[in-house]
Amino acid sequence: MEQILANGLYLGAQYALIALGLTLIFSLMNVLNFAHGQMYVMGGFVTYTVVAQFGLPFIVGLLASAVVLAVIGAVCERFLFRTVIKRSKREESTMLLAAGIAFFLDAVILLVFGEKQRGVPKIVDGVFNWDMRLIMPYDRILIGALAIAMVVGFILFMQYSRTGRAMRALAQDRMAAQLMGVDVDRYSMIGFALGAMLAGIVGGLLVTITGINLGMGGPTSVKAFLMIMIGGAGVISGAIAGGFILGMMESIGLTLLAAYGDVTYLAIFATLLVFLAIRPQGLMGKPWG
Amino acid sequence: MTTPKIPNSVPTSFGNSAASRPGSLGPARLAGVAAFLALVFVAVPLGIAASGRWDFYYTLTSVALLSIASAGVWLTFYIGRINIGQGAYALAGGYVSAVLITQVGMSFWLTLPLAGLACAGLAVLIGLPILRLRGVYFAMVTLVLTEVARLSALALPVTNGAKGITSIPLPGELSVLGLTIIPDFATLEDPKLAFYLVAVALMCLSYLALWRIVNSRLGHLCRSLQQNEELAASIGVNTAHLRVLAYAISSFFGGVAGAMFVSISQSIYPSSFQVADSVNFMLNCFLGGLGYVFGPMLGTLLLYFGWDLLFTTGQYQMLIYSSAMIVLMLVLPNGLLSLFDRKGGGK
Amino acid sequence: MTPILQVKGITKRYGGLTAVNEVSFDVAEGEILSVIGPNGAGKSTLFKLISSFVTPTSGEVLFKGDRISGLAPHQVARKGVVRTFQETTIFRSMTVRENVIVAHHLRSRASLLGFFLGTSLARQDEAEFGASADGIIDFLGMGAIRDELASNLPQGHLRALGMAIGLATNPRILLLDEPFAGMNHDETMRMVGLVRRLRDERGVTVLLVEHDMPAVMKISDRIVVINFGQKIAEGTPAEIQSNEKVIEAYLGSEDAAIGM
Repeated sequence: MEQILANGLYLGAQYALIALGLTLIFSLMNVLNFAHGQMYVMGGFVTYTVVAQFGLPFIVGLLASAVVLAVIGAVCERFLFRTVIKRSKREESTMLLAAGIAFFLDAVILLVFGEKQRGVPKIVDGVFNWDMRLIMPYDRILIGALAIAMVVGFILFMQYSRTGRAMRALAQDRMAAQLMGVDVDRYSMIGFALGAMLAGIVGGLLVTITGINLGMGGPTSVKAFLMIMIGGAGVISGAIAGGFILGMMESIGLTLLAAYGDVTYLAIFATLLVFLAIRPQGLMGKPWG
Repeated sequence: MTTPKIPNSVPTSFGNSAASRPGSLGPARLAGVAAFLALVFVAVPLGIAASGRWDFYYTLTSVALLSIASAGVWLTFYIGRINIGQGAYALAGGYVSAVLITQVGMSFWLTLPLAGLACAGLAVLIGLPILRLRGVYFAMVTLVLTEVARLSALALPVTNGAKGITSIPLPGELSVLGLTIIPDFATLEDPKLAFYLVAVALMCLSYLALWRIVNSRLGHLCRSLQQNEELAASIGVNTAHLRVLAYAISSFFGGVAGAMFVSISQSIYPSSFQVADSVNFMLNCFLGGLGYVFGPMLGTLLLYFGWDLLFTTGQYQMLIYSSAMIVLMLVLPNGLLSLFDRKGGGK
Repeated sequence: MTPILQVKGITKRYGGLTAVNEVSFDVAEGEILSVIGPNGAGKSTLFKLISSFVTPTSGEVLFKGDRISGLAPHQVARKGVVRTFQETTIFRSMTVRENVIVAHHLRSRASLLGFFLGTSLARQDEAEFGASADGIIDFLGMGAIRDELASNLPQGHLRALGMAIGLATNPRILLLDEPFAGMNHDETMRMVGLVRRLRDERGVTVLLVEHDMPAVMKISDRIVVINFGQKIAEGTPAEIQSNEKVIEAYLGSEDAAIGM
């Protein structure tokens, strides 16, 4: 029991961080970033390169992932999404653009980093063992704690910093924010960069544990979509709730359903269908349509 | 917060005087259809025989089948929903056919409609809750659906996990009252041509059906749904029912295409249809134009050949393809056919 | 004779806010009844409650004695209770004629499969819809813009088109949501004439929710006044005009468009 909870919490913390990035971009620009998973993979490979290839400390790798992905995010917003949003008449256009970027990042990752699974050495050794009731390697605990710390940091940032407040205003009502003097273009770019950065950081964190490979992008995006559907799209609390709920469900599912093969995701999806039938806007989302 | 944009379909008029009614076959239209049939059933096989490029059969068969799946996606677009889940139904249809053939010993020709019907049934179950969602929300769930289908195929015992189902026998003979309509594929010298003909015939049937749907009352109601669901309800349209119906038909197309694919490759794996395929189906529709029934067919042809041409660029294939896609979105964010909109302002 | 529509103690609460509180009134067959009230009085919610786009917290609406509250909008329409929309809701990328034809849905005798296969019944239906649509379009004086794309129409025509769509469903009672909103005097008077002809020539009972007092006084057989979600008066235009509560309610509000 304790083991399931701890695993769920550990997974949930990373998931929440991924979902936060996605939901931030969605709430600011109404763009569903299909490339989110690829950005996560990219972040993992950057940390891998810095740590395993250049032999620099892990924290440098993590910072590098954050910076590289923030730049990629900013560029995507400034030169791609902004143009397409201005010129297109349809919602689908940004989706297709995001899909194109996802393919593009996949191609770049393939060319630059190759197809192989990559990982970096453990950052801390040893295993926490509480009476065999709860067993968890120290590095997982560390990464989990770091992820939670970042979630908290992100909330504080959105709540109290000037930038965070501006972005929240923008998310709530684009028009009103503009009238209040919020520089919409500027904060859209910052928001996109921040969202991409979060994805990159999670990639950097997890490369120490699960490693990273090219194929992880798509499934990661899908998981992130699941989370924000559970929690309600475009809502920060929803993304966090969705992340932790999915983490818990996976943890429980893997333990309980293991005997029946890996049907966890089928079960989660079926549950989601029932849930959406009752509450289409997700847990924390506002009712719409 | 989410400002829904008004879908702007290129209007296909309906209910005009009988002579120019798009739902009927005028002489000009009839000639066009005849020319198209002659092209795909006679000219293409002759051309291939003359040039010896037998590999084209595989390409064109694939285009035909993918365009059937895309036709389904197009129909969901027609009720105002962005469907990125067709891969799931293609996969499901493929597995239904494969399992029925290998484990029940059913004839392929019987499994083909059954695969479609199974997918339609599945679509009703899944569609009832999710079709209440709109815009990106619906798109998200359907995308998740594709991934869930893949994971389920990996996990369920009947699908045989990652190993998939292989060495599926070729389609057998199809006969009615002792009269052979389609010969046993295993006895054919070269099943490529046979597969091509069957795939193209299926494609023609699918598009005929789609064309009839769009130009009959069903299509008009779908358009009313796409443009304003509240108003559609207020004129007495059972919107929930109609949405599920359109989605089920759409998934039927996906299932049939998937089953046919499996019979050609004689194998199916969880990775046979995945997220990228679902995205491509959507892309086919978008590229070909959402206002034209034959748009998805054109889009599939262009995209598939484009991808094939890039094959020579080797490892840069994906990079160039995706760059082209991004540039296309930047230059023509409203699709290829928006070029015509600007010129003529309609037809 | 039982009234065609009965509103019985209908109430709608949103959280702590009571938008409509215990409102009751009847609509007799063949009459034109208006619901008026100052801004924010709950007219809009009441309208949605009657057309069943919103389910009441308590109370009910009966059509010819049958409860229609809680039915889906399309089921209500099927019974003959049809609404139009305030915000000029139309099928934008269809022509005027296509809009009206598609709205004939409830009159189809052929099934969707029949339409797909093009059976003779379906073809008959389509022919009838076309003829009927032309009749409605001419009736509303929109013959000249028959094949115009709806998104290209000016405001006034859109309102008429909304009414044409409503008429196409062959309603017993038509619910009009602020049919005069945003119209100038001439346009309003034309619309008043139109609504009267709806009743006189087509026998449609009309319930309208409206803000424009002069128009309402001119058009209505009876008027129901609501304020703060409650019914404060009911009667003929003359009675309403001299009702103290009504005058108070309207003077109390800062509404410019009183015109009494």
